Amino acid sequence: MSQLDLRATPFAWRSVVSVLCFVAFWEIAARSHVAPAILLPPFSIVAEQLWYSTFDGTLAADLSLSLGRAICGLVLATVGGVILGLLMARNRVIEWLADPLVALGFPSPKIAFLPIFILWFGIESLSKILLVAFACIFPVIIGTFSAARAVSQLFIWSALSLGSGRLSLFLHVVLPACYPRIFTTFRIAVPVALITTFTAEMVAGGGGMGGTLIYSQRFFESPTVFAYIVVMLVIGLMLDSAVRRFQHRFLRWAEE
Amino acid sequence: MTHFLGKLLLSATCWMVRIAPLILFGLVWHLVCSAQLVNKDFLPSPLAVAAAFVDLFSSGEIATNLTITLFRAAVGLLLGAGCGVWIGVMMARSRQFREYVTPIVGGTYSLPKSALIPLFALWFGIGNLTAIAAVFLACLLPMVVNTYHGVLTTPKVLVWSAEALGTRERELWPRVFIRNALPDIFTGLRIALGFSFVLAISAEMIASTNGIGKLIFMYGENGTYDYMFAAICCVVIVAFFSDRALLVVTRRVLVWHESGAFERERPRP
Repeated sequence: MSQLDLRATPFAWRSVVSVLCFVAFWEIAARSHVAPAILLPPFSIVAEQLWYSTFDGTLAADLSLSLGRAICGLVLATVGGVILGLLMARNRVIEWLADPLVALGFPSPKIAFLPIFILWFGIESLSKILLVAFACIFPVIIGTFSAARAVSQLFIWSALSLGSGRLSLFLHVVLPACYPRIFTTFRIAVPVALITTFTAEMVAGGGGMGGTLIYSQRFFESPTVFAYIVVMLVIGLMLDSAVRRFQHRFLRWAEE
Repeated sequence: MTHFLGKLLLSATCWMVRIAPLILFGLVWHLVCSAQLVNKDFLPSPLAVAAAFVDLFSSGEIATNLTITLFRAAVGLLLGAGCGVWIGVMMARSRQFREYVTPIVGGTYSLPKSALIPLFALWFGIGNLTAIAAVFLACLLPMVVNTYHGVLTTPKVLVWSAEALGTRERELWPRVFIRNALPDIFTGLRIALGFSFVLAISAEMIASTNGIGKLIFMYGENGTYDYMFAAICCVVIVAFFSDRALLVVTRRVLVWHESGAFERERPRP
């Protein structure tokens, strides 16, 4: 077949089959000792470990710590990025000042700055929150900036001729016009925030999902390693679908 | 001749104006340090960092570790991009393949890939393979998703025209579908390039004995902060220029595409 296959799938039973196959294959491979149990614990034991961690509260504690850091960082990055992006779009001097810094910071791997953040803000939560904010702010700035630049001049003139001041122009015309783009960049920023939080915790310790993960790995507690990875996968999926649902609900007017 | 010189001078001036804030930034940094507003241990002066930079370069320490890191990132990126395009094309091509693969792609897409580094360290030990595997997975997913999207949005008109002009079915793929997906593939490649640096450096910080990530982390732990800052500056510069190089290649390859401006990240009004 060389044409595109666009037939819709009402119920994708093949997807279910493929997940079940994956789990079954994992279980059988582990049970038949293809690899030592330290490297590949059977799925059932991982599930059991997940059950235990859920009930003795360690998982909840780690998860809330990590998610708290990620969300604080995201909020900081979104607020700061939107403000900076809008200012850059409306003010030439600020644009001139910030442009090379943003251009340099956007493609750089922010995790490399982790030792600086540890040095300045300590080993606890603050350094991680700020690193997450630093990692997420650049896409938000660039998204807001280009969205604010693309606001139709017609809207701005209309608002001005109807007598709106500078601030209300910002709040009621320019900012709402940027919402769709801001949200798109927010969707990019969510996984970046998760990756940065987990990696920072793995490297610098200080508890959280990443901290426990690396700790278990060092002590070869493989079931915990696998269980935590499964939880991280579920969290990633849930956050992404939550953001998508929010976007669909509140930004319908922007969808084509 | 004078015309050419004038143009050169003009573009040089433009560049100077653009990077002037960076120089300003360095100047403020220097003033803050020399006025001893902050503890010298927390923020080494730019001159000390520059000296460390020169020293790292002349001793070859940067070159060795940077080569290792770039090797890991490049191998993972190339493998990931290759496999990603293939999987993306297959997903658009066959419904069965798509249905089998979708849950796995969807699951790994939103998994923070750095979570797998401890697992890979367990499996592959400490060194090249762990870093390459992490980079590979991180680069694979954006390539799959973007290629799939690009192939899927091929206008029917293009396919019909090609068929009417006598393109055989087999040739339709490289000539129409993949070509139509090229802008999306390059978008994916740019995302993957960013990921490749992040994952290579993270993997080195967590499980490695060499590479630039380890170097940065080691200087941080030893407290030789001027060297740490110099190594981080080096990473920023390399990441910046590889991103720019990819943009130049993209512009070259996509000259024919009407949205040739799309890769400019900030459209001017």
